[in-house]
Amino acid sequence: MKITKHIIAAAILASGVTGLSGCRNTSGTVVKTDHQTGSSSIIEENGRLAHRLDVVRTTYDEVNGLKRVHIELASNRSKRVRVDYRICWFDANGMELDPQTKTYRNLIVEGRDTVTVTGVANSAAAVSSKVRVRETSQAE
Amino acid sequence: MKKTCFYLSLVSCAVVLTGCATKVREVPLDRSTATTRIEPQDIRRTVEKMVESLLVAPGVKEFVSNRRPVMDVEPMQNRTSQHVDMLSLTESVRMQLLRSGMFRFVDRSSTGTAAVDVERINQENQLGLVDTSKAVKAGQQTALDMYLAGTLSEIKNQTGRTTDQYYKFSMILKDLKTGEIVWADEQEIRKASTKPVIGW
Repeated sequence: MKITKHIIAAAILASGVTGLSGCRNTSGTVVKTDHQTGSSSIIEENGRLAHRLDVVRTTYDEVNGLKRVHIELASNRSKRVRVDYRICWFDANGMELDPQTKTYRNLIVEGRDTVTVTGVANSAAAVSSKVRVRETSQAE
Repeated sequence: MKKTCFYLSLVSCAVVLTGCATKVREVPLDRSTATTRIEPQDIRRTVEKMVESLLVAPGVKEFVSNRRPVMDVEPMQNRTSQHVDMLSLTESVRMQLLRSGMFRFVDRSSTGTAAVDVERINQENQLGLVDTSKAVKAGQQTALDMYLAGTLSEIKNQTGRTTDQYYKFSMILKDLKTGEIVWADEQEIRKASTKPVIGW
């Protein structure tokens, strides 16, 4: 009887572990920048990523009539951190511009290193940007 | 006892049958790397980066400051050992540049396009259905200002069970009038895979 209980407990534990490992936390860090007012906000949705990577600075400029954003990211770990980031652009009405063409780009940040990611709007209608950073392991 | 056996066999049958079914699902366009070959997400990333680089290039600024230059995108060359649909890649570049609104485009380089245009004009005029005063005459198409060309090349190294694959996308934008290179850039991708000790 005791052995049966142990087997059942082990089975429940195993299925629990399997279930949890199947779950992916696809949230990340989001940096929103309004290029007209200059206001910028950082939303950290993933505690693990927030602990590993800091958003140090957000700057923006304009080149050839197109908005450009620079996000400085700093690693808090001594090991290499692999992340993906995507930069989306929005017009004055808050509508996303060409959402299908914006892809997640991969980024390798060495231990304690600081890197700057840059994105350019491909339309003059863009007035605000959203940079989303996620851990590479979260990609399917 | 018989009942238990029956239920057990029922459950095991269900498990086996579920395992046999092919699972089909939609996956994100930017899924993680699965092979060392060129994958759709590599193409998407490269096109996006290249277009961004071109749009902010100082050389391009001179052209787009007071007009929209006419551009043609040549089909990119594939110098790798893999089959990559370079025409599709070329179209993606053109599409993204078109969306920027900074350029006007003609399509002379795609296979047979110029010949098709001439044939259509001739066909229209020869059929006798078109008002001759409104008929399109050959020789009125917009002249090119610049053209974009590119190549994809690779270097492959294999050491033991590890395969190291390096890809390079290179693109140049040339001013047709002066022959000067207005912009050039390259994007590199490096992938490595290691086969397991036991495996196929």
